[in-house]
Amino acid sequence: MTKNSIDLTLKIWRQENSRKTGVFETYRLKDISTDMSFLEMLDVLNEKLTREGRDPVAFDHDCREGICGTCGAVINGVAHGPEPETTLCQLHMRHFENGDTLVIEPFRSRAFPVKKDLIIDRSSLDRIIQAGGYVSVNTGGTPDGNATPIPSATAELAMDAAACIGCGACVASCPNGAAMLFTGAKISQLSLLPQGQPERKERAMAMVTAMDKEGFGNCINAKECEAVCPKGISIRNIARMNREFVKASFLG
Amino acid sequence: MAGTGSCLVLFLCSHAAGNATLFHSLRLFQAYANQLHGHPMIIYVLSKGLFLTFAIHIITGILLFWQNRKARDHKYKVQKRTVKMSQASRTMIYSGLFILLYLIIHTSAVSFGDHETIGLTISYLFSSPLVILFYITAFIVLAIHLSHGFWSMLQTFGVNHPKYNKLTGWLTYIVPISFLLIFGAIPLLFI
Ligand code: HEM
Ligand code: FES
Repeated sequence: MTKNSIDLTLKIWRQENSRKTGVFETYRLKDISTDMSFLEMLDVLNEKLTREGRDPVAFDHDCREGICGTCGAVINGVAHGPEPETTLCQLHMRHFENGDTLVIEPFRSRAFPVKKDLIIDRSSLDRIIQAGGYVSVNTGGTPDGNATPIPSATAELAMDAAACIGCGACVASCPNGAAMLFTGAKISQLSLLPQGQPERKERAMAMVTAMDKEGFGNCINAKECEAVCPKGISIRNIARMNREFVKASFLG
Repeated sequence: MAGTGSCLVLFLCSHAAGNATLFHSLRLFQAYANQLHGHPMIIYVLSKGLFLTFAIHIITGILLFWQNRKARDHKYKVQKRTVKMSQASRTMIYSGLFILLYLIIHTSAVSFGDHETIGLTISYLFSSPLVILFYITAFIVLAIHLSHGFWSMLQTFGVNHPKYNKLTGWLTYIVPISFLLIFGAIPLLFI
């Protein structure tokens, strides 16, 4: 072992498909550079497994720069691993110690069936968006960018909500598998902006209804989601969703 | 949950105020009870309303607990909680059920007894150290329930703003501790 590398024991959830039950398998890795990202470490493991003629570990990834929301796994009990406001692809191995044992599990929830190993089916989140997470715009000439004035504070709040990359860590960490932070962020983003006003009430109703239909749990305000969110989305967005929902249901 | 929870908190306030007459004297407390029972309409509406509120709160709480259990049917091998408040929030159903046990014992001992001699009933009740211990345990459990419940109720109602979050963060401890002090001191008066 050189100075900037560590040896690790990995316990990884292996599951062939959504019908089979999975098991943990143990792998040992030597000389992992601390400059690697977590996913690069998994790449090294997969190359090793491939050379040995074994099935590599399936995991989701795309941008590898923390903006697409594709990656994610639970590392030693914490979604996206121990660093706050960090996606798994942006988590570096220097945050681990030589000799560490890492238990790596997929994001779990009834609404997130495991497809293979660490890959889960997150289409339940897509269906919440399809229910109302959009603005309807008529075709025509491009409107002038400054034609609709938006107060700077409002734009900031909308931007904070829009930072959600839909990775599902909130669902994975919630004691009840609830999707309130995700849905709250998506509803907030649009309800804060002038462009979102025409469909504001229908959107709140439709998205909350879609969320319940997918079999996510209920919020008990345990705040785990906010703590693991790689984008630091605040539960203030859940409170805003609750207000939107109450307004839409009682004030019509 | 938050709707019925807030009604229950209001009930606790009035109940605490009524019981506080005991700090003055048993006689004043008896007078308060007599006064209360001099208005059968009030007793009727409040007791039925309170029963209904508790029933809705408890039934919804249990239904939510089951739904949430189902939604989390796949357990992690390793699970670390990153938030320190979550202990009270994760045990709401258990603290709630303990309060329910307390409520059954408390109401069968006090509410359905003879209110004309309520002062005597409670002084007899609190002559047993075991009863005192049980009552104080129940009040501590209630305080734990509310240490999450009070803040949670505000969040559910949509009260969350950086300007007030410090205040609500404090209130969720101050309100339950006040209830604990007032209710907890009463049995101790009888030692
Ligand atoms: C008698 C049995 C009781 C049971 C079984 C019970 C159960 C529960 C449960 C499971 C929750 C969590 C629900 C959630 O966060 O979504 C809860 C919340 C709450 N409970 Fe109770 N509870 C009981 C009595 C009480 C009493 C006596 C009070 C008195 C003030 C109270 C006040 C609250 C409040 C304020 C909340 C928070 C509501 C929210 O999360 O929005 N509960 N209760
Ligand atoms: S791979 Fe895109 S956020 Fe991690």
